[in-house]
Amino acid sequence: MEALSGLALAVALAGLGLWAMVTRRNIVWKLLGLNVASGGSILFLVALSHRPGARPAIRGLGPGPAVDPLPQALVLTAIVIHFATLALALALVIILTEHRHTQDAKRLEEEQ
Amino acid sequence: MRWALTFGLLGLTGLLGLGIFEIWPRPCFPDPDEIALAWGVENSVAAIVLGQRLWDTILEVLVYVLAMVGVRFFLAGLRWQTKLPPVAETPFFRRSADLLFGPILVFAIYVAASGHIGPGGGFPAGVIVGSGLLLLALAKGTEQLAAELYEPKLEGLEYAAVLATLVLGALVLIFGLRSATAFVAGNILIALEVAIGAWAVLHRFAAARGEV
Repeated sequence: MEALSGLALAVALAGLGLWAMVTRRNIVWKLLGLNVASGGSILFLVALSHRPGARPAIRGLGPGPAVDPLPQALVLTAIVIHFATLALALALVIILTEHRHTQDAKRLEEEQ
Repeated sequence: MRWALTFGLLGLTGLLGLGIFEIWPRPCFPDPDEIALAWGVENSVAAIVLGQRLWDTILEVLVYVLAMVGVRFFLAGLRWQTKLPPVAETPFFRRSADLLFGPILVFAIYVAASGHIGPGGGFPAGVIVGSGLLLLALAKGTEQLAAELYEPKLEGLEYAAVLATLVLGALVLIFGLRSATAFVAGNILIALEVAIGAWAVLHRFAAARGEV
């Protein structure tokens, strides 16, 4: 049940992020949407590793099967890469705003 | 059409998630305990991150450092012309931030050094140091903290840590080094890189606020 609610929340977050990326015209809002969507994908991976009644993936922490450690390792990578690329994207947005004086994606496209 | 595609993709993702309930057959992975045992550590996630999928981690560290170099490069030219007025925080807040930073640093070192036997690792430890630096920056002001930290030396330290990570990765990948010491060293090096990168982002974004 926890996994199902986690998955539902993950899909909802991804949908919310995609919606913001599609409908918003400000590129900072688009990046925020990307942020939320990637949070959804990270939650999705974590929820995938869930097994009912499992223990953490550390040796000697009690009986029973351990959770799948592979999605957790992938998520560790994903979070850091996500942080780094978001920082780079925001730096590029700062440069773009300095040069073009707008953050409106539609106007940025039209002015070219 | 666009909406149908979006919802179709999301529905497909949700269907994939049904694998949890054994509706789809799961691929058969080895027991997590065996992976941890094979690498001589307790934490299976650490055994995967720094052992079985070490290529992933090395390339991730390279991507992270490249992104931080990009942030430094793009924001180097942009500098706020006038200096910010000093932060109007109370002396109590400044002193308590100073006092708190030591325990935060010790906790981060603990998290990094015990990442192979329990929950923790290099990436969380680096982020803990980064948030400690954020606390200091809030209390003292970014400019003063930057003057105290002396960034060129930090940058050199970051590149040295990347080189050391590559050497460690070569030792593990080519020469088959398998010991908990390698895990501790790798975690601490990664924590160093992540913390310095987080500080670079914090400082550059604060210094290049710009006139928008």
